[in-house]
Amino acid sequence: MSLWTQVVEIARVDLVVERRIGDVFRIVLPFAVAALFVFPIALGVELATMRRVGPAVFWTLGILFGMQVALRHSATDTPPRRDMQALAGLDPAARFLGRAISGAVVMTGFLVVVYVAMVALYDSETTSWWVTGLAALLFAAGLTTLSTLVGEATTGLRHRTGLASLLIAPLSLPLVLAASQTLAAVSDGTGILPWMLLMTGTDIALLVAGVGLARPLEEAGR
Amino acid sequence: MTRLRVAYALAVVGLGVGLWFALTAPPDVLQGEYSRLLYIHVPTLWLAFLAFAVTSVASIGWLIRKRQRWDRVAAASVEIGVLFTAIGIAVGMIWGKAVWGVAWDWMDPRMATTAVMLFVYIGYLALRSATDDPYSRARRSAILGSIAVIQVPLVYFSVNMFRTLHQTQSIRPDGATMPDEMVIALTVNVAAFTLVYVTLLATRVGLARRMGGATPTGELAGAAVTPPRTGEIEDV
Repeated sequence: MSLWTQVVEIARVDLVVERRIGDVFRIVLPFAVAALFVFPIALGVELATMRRVGPAVFWTLGILFGMQVALRHSATDTPPRRDMQALAGLDPAARFLGRAISGAVVMTGFLVVVYVAMVALYDSETTSWWVTGLAALLFAAGLTTLSTLVGEATTGLRHRTGLASLLIAPLSLPLVLAASQTLAAVSDGTGILPWMLLMTGTDIALLVAGVGLARPLEEAGR
Repeated sequence: MTRLRVAYALAVVGLGVGLWFALTAPPDVLQGEYSRLLYIHVPTLWLAFLAFAVTSVASIGWLIRKRQRWDRVAAASVEIGVLFTAIGIAVGMIWGKAVWGVAWDWMDPRMATTAVMLFVYIGYLALRSATDDPYSRARRSAILGSIAVIQVPLVYFSVNMFRTLHQTQSIRPDGATMPDEMVIALTVNVAAFTLVYVTLLATRVGLARRMGGATPTGELAGAAVTPPRTGEIEDV
């Protein structure tokens, strides 16, 4: 079985498990949409304020709930499953890539729903849908790659969820910064290229690090 | 031990010389005497960058060689880096309050990115403390240590990427934007703080090596002793 066949198979299995269990779309997503209702209550229900803070709220929810998406139970292997995969000759890099890809797909779906809900509830204007979509895609890819990396490094530890969040939140700074600045640049009419490059560069760096560290990551989970 | 004492002596002398240069350098025209905080603020954060870069190299070293000493260097370097990042931020806040009128400005990405870098390495230390097995701890922290360094260039270049309250780099390849006396005082202090780093690192690594034998491995003292079963005891 070639590397890419293994990658596709791991991603497919993850997505099937997610579809059956529904960690993200039945639990995390409704919680994130519910959180959209909290901000106007806390900030005051003035429409102008809500329009202004809408994109910031979106990225905040993206990072906070995105970590839960990436660390979802349906994407966490038990030790026997890991051993079985290792004995079957599964390449650790394929396992990492497959997991990152399935996470990115789920995360992109999650972000799309949250964004549409934010636009509907906060009456926020979208200057360019394709730039927003591209920024969300790059953000999702980077955050899931990072979360997969950190999630694997913290597998089996006590307080894993809290610990992984503590590590992911600050490390995702380049992604959050670039994603939010991209939307701000579209609104201001300034260039988006530097921010897109920062996001793409971070995504590639994380992907290379993840593939390079795939074997130690797999061993860390034992 | 003697080498360490010499290192301590050199570090103390270096700090003394640095202090003398800092106090005798000309003050800034606009900031006055507050500008002398430059000679603590910049060297502490330089030291933090150096510490995190050393951690990254040591982490990669551990992943390749799997030698415990690489792990000790990486962990010790993070501890020092976290301490000096916190000091650098605190000094910067005092300086900011005096010169800008605010201790913390959210419009300044250099401050925000530095604080985030601090949290990344606090997370590194939390990861270490959450892992009991020394080998597993070394592996997990080596993975994180090798990727966490991505924060360092982000902090360094944030002043070039955004419009900030912080000025851009004062010492550049095309020359310095400060008078020579200030550049010399800054260089001396950077060298002195580097000596302090090397000394602290050697001390902490030595301490970790000596503690190595006493590191708990999860098994409790007395676990090997089993209580006698009454049925086996004869003639009580």
